Amino acid sequence: MNSAIIYLLVKEWKQFWASSFLPKLVILLPVLVMLLMPWVSNMEIRNMRIAIVDNDCSSLSEKLMQNVEASEYFIISGVHRTYDAALASLEDNDADAVMVIPQGMEDDLMKGGQVSVHVAANAVNSLKSGLGSGYLTNIITSFGQELQSSSGQDASIPVEIDLQYRYNPYLDNVKFMVPGLMIIIVILVCGFLPTMNIVGEKEKGTIEQINVTPVKKREFIFSKLIFYGFMGVFVFSLSFLLGKLVYGIAPYGGFGEIFVGATLLIIFMSGLGLAVSNFSDSMQQAVFVMLFFMMLFMLMSGIFTPIGSMEKWAQALTYAMPSRYFVDIMRCVCLKGSTFNDLWFNFMMLAIFAVFINAVAIATYKKQS
Amino acid sequence: MRQDDYAKYAVFADSLEKSFGKKEDKVVAVKGVSLRVEKGELYGIIGPDGAGKTTLFRILATLMLPDSGTAYVDGFDISGDYRLIRDRLGYMPGKFSLYPDLTVKENLEFFASVFGTTIKENYHLIKDIYERLEPFEKRKASKLSGGMKQKLALCCALIHFPDILFLDEPTTGVDPSSRREFWDMLSSIRKYGISVVVSTAYMDEASRCDRISMMSQGRFIGTGTPAEIIDSFDRRLIAVSSDEMFRLLRDLRDISDVDYCYTFGDVHHVVLREDSLASPDNLSAVLVDKFKHENVAAAYCKPTMEDCFMLYESKLV
Repeated sequence: MNSAIIYLLVKEWKQFWASSFLPKLVILLPVLVMLLMPWVSNMEIRNMRIAIVDNDCSSLSEKLMQNVEASEYFIISGVHRTYDAALASLEDNDADAVMVIPQGMEDDLMKGGQVSVHVAANAVNSLKSGLGSGYLTNIITSFGQELQSSSGQDASIPVEIDLQYRYNPYLDNVKFMVPGLMIIIVILVCGFLPTMNIVGEKEKGTIEQINVTPVKKREFIFSKLIFYGFMGVFVFSLSFLLGKLVYGIAPYGGFGEIFVGATLLIIFMSGLGLAVSNFSDSMQQAVFVMLFFMMLFMLMSGIFTPIGSMEKWAQALTYAMPSRYFVDIMRCVCLKGSTFNDLWFNFMMLAIFAVFINAVAIATYKKQS
Repeated sequence: MRQDDYAKYAVFADSLEKSFGKKEDKVVAVKGVSLRVEKGELYGIIGPDGAGKTTLFRILATLMLPDSGTAYVDGFDISGDYRLIRDRLGYMPGKFSLYPDLTVKENLEFFASVFGTTIKENYHLIKDIYERLEPFEKRKASKLSGGMKQKLALCCALIHFPDILFLDEPTTGVDPSSRREFWDMLSSIRKYGISVVVSTAYMDEASRCDRISMMSQGRFIGTGTPAEIIDSFDRRLIAVSSDEMFRLLRDLRDISDVDYCYTFGDVHHVVLREDSLASPDNLSAVLVDKFKHENVAAAYCKPTMEDCFMLYESKLV
């Protein structure tokens, strides 16, 4: 390796340790994100409060209420006499949903008739109301089936659905989130640190002093890229280790795939940071532009919301998000054990993005204006 | 390629131009500046803030390309051979621009290493300056005092034994005794054959240079040795004072023999018109009789560098 790059790397290393903030950030960020985020980003709905209007007051309606309460998803917040009273408690935020048991339910059911149970949910939090009313429907349906079979009637269900979730059998949300969080850590660290470093050199004027030395622009950019590349790999490895130790998430597939993918994403993010800083004169400007890109990379890569449920045009746009390819790689390798052969397209796209953005970074870094 | 015609000069610049901004609010920072700095010379560029000194330095230090004009540093073209210039150039920008988070020693080591040399190799060059910094070797550069920062910056610019040193306002914001010390250092550097180009806004520092150019509004308005510049003052210069200094300045401007006048310390300097033969006595008589000033004192005085600057600047308009 070129000796100028070594001197520049030594300088970066000294500066890194001279900073009172960077060494702490590099350790604390992965630790905090990995330990806290999987728990707060849980999508499951529990303890939904339900107000019941029992117009039947029979042993069957009692049984239905017991079934609802027995599930771990619901807490019965109160039994009301009228629908209006129940709705009022929903408006007062004492309940999240209202279930109305119609008058004469027991009689009708015993005669073999049809009964409709009314469910109203507070949809301010659409996720909660959607999932909650879904759970409630399930409970009511199975209650009906149970009733039919116990009453000796023909349980005429032609097709029984038995769901089996592959790769993540218990739909464990932590398993789904942790690989995504590792990616977020890489995006944060490699997106911000190199950008702040170069713009910092600009603001301090040190870049000017470097520019009048024989150091070539290629060497200058590479030294930053190598340094922050290693920083990214370190941060990624640390979060990986935490994922294993804390959540027992060992990838089903090989480490090779994951680390090659991570390195490509790290090189891309660092390169983007360098390119953005070339166009920025101040720290604020650079940080806001990076924030814009990072939001896109996080929200449009399938970390939080599935790409399949986005609008068509947005789905097309995700192909321009390098993070999307790495999210795919992480999930497929961790959960399914996919290999390079299965994911070659993702690796190729990541590599193309990484090479392209770094070429831009070198080309736009000016030593002379 | 080294151009032999220009290689005998440390700096050879011809009609350099540089402007900033678009059409309407275009600012011309450097207007047709030509400059010749001999080898081993201590050359000063004197001018107020906004005269274009920093832009000129940035062009010569290969950080900026001129819009037009040519310049050669040590015989190398600033646009084509800037790589070669950077090997033999020491540049100290006006703003402190070493790494504030590295220590004194780390900064010096870093700048030595990027030029492929070591502190040891050229220590003799910076010995006098660095000895004063040595007690603070382990201190971070950001924690140094203003004068110390300038000394460190000078060390870093010298550590690779450059042929030519560009110093952009090295003494701005430095206390008077440190300024004197700094100029002593510059004089001592010359014994190693290093050419030094230095800019300053302090007129009194001009006398420390071998030759100077006075710069105003992007132009060179006068060039020569400090003595030549002082000698070139070809008008009658009279120092005037009275009990009412403020009214005096206004009244002086109403006298037809007076070309222009300005406050200089606790007196007013009056420059008479080229064709005027008025003496200090004539002037004080007018001030007493016509303008009713009391305790009027008027006498010829020796022009200083500042008087020369004002004269050249008035000729410019």
